[in-house]
Amino acid sequence: MSAIRLRAARFALNAAAAFSLGFILLPLFFVTWLAFFRQEIPSFPPEGYSLQWFAAAAANKSFVDGFILSLQVGIAATLIGLLLGVPASLALVRHRIPLGPGVNTFLLLPLVMPGIVLGTATYVFQIEVEITTSVPVMGSLVGLIAAHTLVVIPWVVRLVTASLAGFDRSIEEAAQNLGAGPVTTFWRVTLPSIRPGIVAAALFGFVTSFGNLEMSLFLVGPGRTTLPIAILQYLEWKIDPTVAAASLIQIVLIGVSMIVTDRYVKLSRVV
Amino acid sequence: MSTIAPEAVAGGRTRLAGLLVVPATLFVALMLIGPLAILFRYSLNKFVPGQFMVDALVIENYIKFFTDGYYLNVLIRTVRVSVICTLACLVMGFPLAYVLARTQSRFKNLLVIAVVLPLFVGNAVRAAGWMTAFGSRGALNASLMGLGLIDQPLEIMYTENAVLIGIIAVNLPFMVLTLQSVIEGIPRNVEEAAFSLGANPPVMFRRVLWPLALPGILAGTILTFILAMNAYATPVLLGGPKFQTMGPLVYGQFAQQNNWPFGAAISFILMTATIVLTMTANFIVRRRSR
Repeated sequence: MSAIRLRAARFALNAAAAFSLGFILLPLFFVTWLAFFRQEIPSFPPEGYSLQWFAAAAANKSFVDGFILSLQVGIAATLIGLLLGVPASLALVRHRIPLGPGVNTFLLLPLVMPGIVLGTATYVFQIEVEITTSVPVMGSLVGLIAAHTLVVIPWVVRLVTASLAGFDRSIEEAAQNLGAGPVTTFWRVTLPSIRPGIVAAALFGFVTSFGNLEMSLFLVGPGRTTLPIAILQYLEWKIDPTVAAASLIQIVLIGVSMIVTDRYVKLSRVV
Repeated sequence: MSTIAPEAVAGGRTRLAGLLVVPATLFVALMLIGPLAILFRYSLNKFVPGQFMVDALVIENYIKFFTDGYYLNVLIRTVRVSVICTLACLVMGFPLAYVLARTQSRFKNLLVIAVVLPLFVGNAVRAAGWMTAFGSRGALNASLMGLGLIDQPLEIMYTENAVLIGIIAVNLPFMVLTLQSVIEGIPRNVEEAAFSLGANPPVMFRRVLWPLALPGILAGTILTFILAMNAYATPVLLGGPKFQTMGPLVYGQFAQQNNWPFGAAISFILMTATIVLTMTANFIVRRRSR
């Protein structure tokens, strides 16, 4: 009887898990479906299927420009974030720095800040910088990249410190015993062994930046919108297969990049 | 002397290496604390229609928020939506997190990707999916009417229910991933020990799994609550212009009303609520685990 109850509990558990997973994936399923509709109005059941909306999405200037801008900002913010975050993580794990845990928490702070608050704060900050220095930062690419770097840094620190924590330092000592200098040791020993953490940090940093909406909303200038904002503005006006096709392209790109990354770093280990 | 010199060198290098943390810290300080300080200063300014923002040192923006029924209602609605969504995420997220943490399946990585992928796709895209499903001729109404269960299409779009469903779906992956990492840290044999001592699954869950997973449950709850309080795309697209929550309210004050002082004050009220909740939960966890 206990075996039956255990099996029943297991079945209920799996059913509940499947329901939740389905709930998470359902909106993506509908977007995918809509992208292939023949008619423009999203009414069910569809009258037929067509691939014409992918051409329409590729011809839509705001989607294409938004995609290019998001890509530029994402890559730049990720690189700067790694440049600042990896050395900081090394220092935090390896060296007794004053207030170490406090500094660690501080660097993770942008992650728990509401995006809307980050957006308004950065907006008024850029206004003040522009008034004081008369450098046009409002709505500029540099301003956007700087703001996105702020939300990339916590991911880098979090994932790289985690991968450094499990690192055996005696390997480095061995390298130095064999005559390697600190720089050689870092490039040939330390860096390769924390590569999974760095790859994961780059992936998470990039997609955080690429998908950021709440903060970017305040920082984009006229004629300069990121892809998530272009999609949001389009959806506020109407929903049709064109926006679904643009979204599907995005879903496929992110999905493929995750599966490729997963071949090098097991995502289930780092998330 | 020979014993002191190498130590000094080592100490110097350590101090030098410790400096590696400085650039990132300065960057966050400049780009986070600086802006927040200016935002707070703005929230104490006055807004005079026609004159835009006037320098002042008043708390009237905060008083306005807490004395006007409209704004208080927006805050209460946002907190209510956030609490419901967070509880739903916890109830729906735990089974999935448990299965993901304990599965031996070789498709585990694909399952994790299936949970993570929507997270990276963006809130607007996911709202688009629900818009397709909920419209008067959308998938849900079309199937219900096709089955003859209803004559008139259900009004789901632009209701609180649509916003709730949208936010739950957006936040569920965060809860699942947080819980999964905690459950993976709980040795499987403590569960087996409970079973062999005669506990049935519900008792094992209540007496073993829940207490051990509590830090993760709190972390996940805090995270999803913050995200729900802060939601923008989902309430705008699924709730429509009449369904105001704090996120769109802040944006409207900045972008449409040009009332920066009041917008800054609302931002601060939103952030303070976030910080107070995070610190309280942190405090409770630390006291419990002691």
